[in-house]
Amino acid sequence: MNQASMPMPRESYELTGKRTKELTKRQIRKARISGIVLLLLSGLVMLVFVPAVSGVSTFGLSTPDDAIQLDSLAVPSAGSLWVLSSVLAFLGATQFFRGFQGKTTIILGISFGVFAIALMVWAASGQEFSLISMLVATVSRSTPIALGALSGILCERSGVVNIGIEGMLLGGAFTGVVMGSLLGGWIGLLSATLTGGVLALLLAVLAVKFRVDQIIIGVVINILVLGLTSFLTAQVLVKKPELNDAPIFAAVKIPVLGDIPIIGPMFFDQTIIVYGMFILIGSVTYLLFRTRWGLRTRAVGENPKAADSLGVSVAKVRYLAVIYGGMVGGFAGAWFTLGSVGRFDENMTGGRGFIGLAAMIFGAWNPIGAFLAALIFGFSESLQQKFALLNIPIPSEFLAMAPYLVTIVVVAGVVGRVRPPAADGQPYEKQ
Amino acid sequence: MKTNVKIASAVFAVAALGLAGCGGSTSTAESSAAPAASVAASAPAASEPAAAAPKACEVTDVGGVDDKGFNQKAYKGVTDAADQLGVEAIVLESQAETDYEPNIQAFVDQGCNIIVTVGFLLGDATMTAANANPDIPFTIVDYAYGDNEDGTPMIANNNVLGQIFNTDEAAFLAGYLAAGTTKTGKVGTFGGINIPPVTIFMDGFYFGVQKYNADNGTNVEVLGWDPNTQKGLFTENFESLADGRAFAQNLVDEGADIVMPVAGPVGLGSAALATELGMNKLMIIGVDSDQYESDPANQGVYLTSVLKNMDVTTFNAIKAVIDGTFAGGVTVGTLENGGVGLAPYHDMDSMVSPELKEQMTALQVGIIDGSVSVKKG
Repeated sequence: MNQASMPMPRESYELTGKRTKELTKRQIRKARISGIVLLLLSGLVMLVFVPAVSGVSTFGLSTPDDAIQLDSLAVPSAGSLWVLSSVLAFLGATQFFRGFQGKTTIILGISFGVFAIALMVWAASGQEFSLISMLVATVSRSTPIALGALSGILCERSGVVNIGIEGMLLGGAFTGVVMGSLLGGWIGLLSATLTGGVLALLLAVLAVKFRVDQIIIGVVINILVLGLTSFLTAQVLVKKPELNDAPIFAAVKIPVLGDIPIIGPMFFDQTIIVYGMFILIGSVTYLLFRTRWGLRTRAVGENPKAADSLGVSVAKVRYLAVIYGGMVGGFAGAWFTLGSVGRFDENMTGGRGFIGLAAMIFGAWNPIGAFLAALIFGFSESLQQKFALLNIPIPSEFLAMAPYLVTIVVVAGVVGRVRPPAADGQPYEKQ
Repeated sequence: MKTNVKIASAVFAVAALGLAGCGGSTSTAESSAAPAASVAASAPAASEPAAAAPKACEVTDVGGVDDKGFNQKAYKGVTDAADQLGVEAIVLESQAETDYEPNIQAFVDQGCNIIVTVGFLLGDATMTAANANPDIPFTIVDYAYGDNEDGTPMIANNNVLGQIFNTDEAAFLAGYLAAGTTKTGKVGTFGGINIPPVTIFMDGFYFGVQKYNADNGTNVEVLGWDPNTQKGLFTENFESLADGRAFAQNLVDEGADIVMPVAGPVGLGSAALATELGMNKLMIIGVDSDQYESDPANQGVYLTSVLKNMDVTTFNAIKAVIDGTFAGGVTVGTLENGGVGLAPYHDMDSMVSPELKEQMTALQVGIIDGSVSVKKG
């Protein structure tokens, strides 16, 4: 395989500049492989999905409560699958022969989106399913994942690895429900947030002051919280069920915006925890990349020695970032109890913290990227449910596996070259 | 550097504590160290003849004894035995499937007089333990042992009493009731894991709805389960209440207004959603125990519950051990012998029309005398 077989159009030279010149054999191979994957997906749609469908696929776009009712979207199943498969084939062939270079990630993202639509058209063939409710569920289910990722970003941008997110979620969920039962939902939410902060303080003290291996502390936090909350559930909550009966934050519809079709129910008719997630994603992005505090935090995460020599207190910056991160994690934990069922059950977070960790990496340690990654995970979770309901011939165990499969594919394959903060996980010792 | 090592070892000590806390082993320690404290409902301390009391020991499935359903109901059989027969009740909660064997072994080592294992998933672990300890009586909920391929019995010494339940008979009634009560013409169900003790509920529910359609010329649809393909909606766990909420929401979005979750505590999440939406939009059919009683926070949303009375069968097994009449084999709970049944409608009584109640009564008689088959619509 040589360079000549991959002619570079002049435009892409100018657009991507230096990158194109450095196009290595490895990149060419990567382009070939992803091109083949896309062609295979296209073949799958054409040869497996198309023969299996008949009639129209109907997608509901409004719930009965929406102010503006949209008609259901009905598309001919076979016809739209042909179109989608052709798009995939075109993108795959282009990628195989020419490569999209700098735009590869975006093109791959679009391709997988096209494939997801094809999957839905195939599954809904001859039936109807409520697309809008799936999208609403996507946003709701990605909330704890996005917040968990944000928690990780705050810690790791300052150079402290936090794999204790799962424990912080679980701890927040637990204290949220207990304090919520006693003193009301808002106090519960506050307590959940503080619990995350306290757990993060433990992480910070051990990581910054005592320079313990951060991976180990994270694991300890996860296991400690799981054991502690399970113990307290069995010993306290079972005997005093009134402590395990917190009020639930219902969805709050924002006037006007909430009435916009599709977007309204997705983003403007959710619980305050979901709104909190949007606010946090926005504000952390601003704080990290537009303020002095953010610059210092990132500097400490990249090169603590240089930051220190310029008079930035590495320890102080790390303490603050880690504690903020923990508070975000605890807040996310409240989603499981106060934002959902008002009741705590052992290990109810079910590994969402770890998925959040994957979303953080997928999103390249950037809050917005992490949110988009979380949306993909949330989407695959809710898609799985709809598929089970549509009775498609894929075993439910496989569907349940799908989000994790997506995690592996995404983290290993698509992300490839994202770079963590340079000093991530390294304790800093002042000379 | 020296401090580092010290701290690290301290951390490991904490980790070890944490690990112990999340495994089943802590509970073992608790129950052996302080049996009276660990089991709230064991015989009152005063009447406790110390070591002399026979021990009835229960290993739960991962849902835990506070699941307001399955495990709790079986545990009630054990605590009833503690109250009425003076046995000492001990329970170990399994946190994961890997806990089954060690938990059973812990009870074997403690010299339990009967070991109750709760759940289909404990089938293999129970068989292994029973064959290794042929003198200890076991009883398992939701499992019946047959013969190996070579014709020898799977339980060599016949020391296991399997408890199985024809829950489809009661679920059939629930399906009929749901079909007669729905306003949207769609009812839904979802399960925890696709295993027979779960899907038998869903089968019965489905065929009950079909029976109603056939009797009344309606066209009520069942979402979430297809008995022909044996495929449907499953959370793949018995723990996540958030899943229970999301799955019920999903079914509501597709038009269902009555949902039967067959997933232990997961269903409590569905009930929380129903409470929030109001019973006009969503009613829940409880399973295992009368959830109107066991889940008071969401009382207003339970149309009825499909009862699976493993407390009675478990109690009887313990009693048989005390009386010296214990025999292995299989006991089957049916509508006829009260092993399964439908809970009262409680607050929902007015929702069910007198005609439907009449039909239900006739149907119950039909199922018991065999003139109505619950295996088809």
